[in-house]
Amino acid sequence: MTTTLALLHKQIKDSLCNFQALMVMLIYPLVAFVMITALGSEDGMSGMFVTMFATMHASFAPLVTASNILSEEKEKGTLRALIMTGVSRRQYLMSVSLFVVSVTLLTGSAFLVMDAFTREHIAAFAAAMLCGAVLSTLAGLCVGIVSRNVSAANGMAVPIGLVTALLPMLARFNESLDCAARYLYSGQISRVLDGGELTGEFAAIMAAYAVLLTALLAFLFKKKGLE
Amino acid sequence: MAIVKLDKVTRSFGVKQVLCGVSLQIEKGDIFGLLGPSGAGKTTLVNILTGQLSCGGTAEIFGMNCGRIGREVYRRTGAVLDNCGLYERLTCMDNMKLFARIHHISAARIAETLREVGLNGSERLRVKSLSKGMRQRLQLARAILHTPELLFLDEPTSGLDPATAEEIHALMRRLRENGTTLFLTTHNMDEAYRLCDRIALLHEGQIVEEGQPAAICRRHCSDSELHIVTSDGEELSLPNLPENAEAVAAMMRKGKLRAIHSAEPDLGTVFLRLTGKELTQ
Repeated sequence: MTTTLALLHKQIKDSLCNFQALMVMLIYPLVAFVMITALGSEDGMSGMFVTMFATMHASFAPLVTASNILSEEKEKGTLRALIMTGVSRRQYLMSVSLFVVSVTLLTGSAFLVMDAFTREHIAAFAAAMLCGAVLSTLAGLCVGIVSRNVSAANGMAVPIGLVTALLPMLARFNESLDCAARYLYSGQISRVLDGGELTGEFAAIMAAYAVLLTALLAFLFKKKGLE
Repeated sequence: MAIVKLDKVTRSFGVKQVLCGVSLQIEKGDIFGLLGPSGAGKTTLVNILTGQLSCGGTAEIFGMNCGRIGREVYRRTGAVLDNCGLYERLTCMDNMKLFARIHHISAARIAETLREVGLNGSERLRVKSLSKGMRQRLQLARAILHTPELLFLDEPTSGLDPATAEEIHALMRRLRENGTTLFLTTHNMDEAYRLCDRIALLHEGQIVEEGQPAAICRRHCSDSELHIVTSDGEELSLPNLPENAEAVAAMMRKGKLRAIHSAEPDLGTVFLRLTGKELTQ
């Protein structure tokens, strides 16, 4: 526990000094705020912007952040230094995941003040954001494991992140895309944030992605290790 | 007591055999130097000993197979390796604090360690603003923070100015005096000769010579030449042959002999003779 807390503390300090990491975590709430301030007076616009940018935030930011943290530590050799002090690889992955999910939820909570949420909707929003943050973090860790450095990680994480983040938005304008987005975890998150409820379909798709990404992470971890 | 044992250790990367049956032992309290040119397999051997690479044969530290070392062994070892970086955006103190928390070490010990490596006063500097010498010292501070019994140093003075290198040598001697065993890899023969209790010369994955540096040089003293300095300051080289004995004795009788030395080769020459290659290649 002490080690996990020490790693979390380090990660917070390091991220506060890292402009790029801060921007990834703050960009969508900031853009949403600007858009709502500029255009939000029109009917339903603020709700649409919150749904759109919160979905992007939950699917893009954790993916890029987790993959960047892991690949940067590999590239700079700091991960090796940690492991050689007795930090277990699982402990390290847990601390990165905990950090990324916490920061995503913390910065994502800014969306709550941008629209009029009911109490029930806040619970659904929190559940959807949590699911998105956890699944995107798992995907980010997979990318981090297979990438040797930050450039390689970004080369992989950004396209994946863009597809998961943008597809639900584009699905609003195209029926075929809407069918595809329905089976994407970010598509389900978008539906919940759009005023929908936490349905059985949502739970089933989230569980399926959780199993799939956990299995992929375990496979890559076993095959490639962390270094 | 041997705390590092290697028996017929092998390792290859693809078709390239990097280590071919390396066997050696390191005793507690020694400074052991592994010398070899770039690509000889030094770093691979350190990576095996620190549990980062698997190998054939047997590699043990503290009686534990290196392939299975865990937290307990890592807590007894420290390492200054080329591939073990520092958190560049954090300060020296933040870097040290992280590892102190992991090792459950007090803040007082951090200050003591930074003082030991000459970094007191630099606690608030960010790592990215440090010079290479200062980074090396910080890595050393991080490695000795938990007072390890065994310290791995992979080319610790490579690229440093002579004054900084000498300070690191002095620190290494102090660590040995305090009972730390040091495993040093270098291609600097002078560093190895002056610092190490025992050395091994590694060439193309094989140990070609092993022992005390001076003993190795004596063993390869095949020139059979004597270097003489007369009282006038004149330097002479004489073949070490019976017919020259009278000439040397005559100089001694007349008080004309200031110094007489055998002409052992240095470690670089020994390596060249054994392998046909320069140590620094």
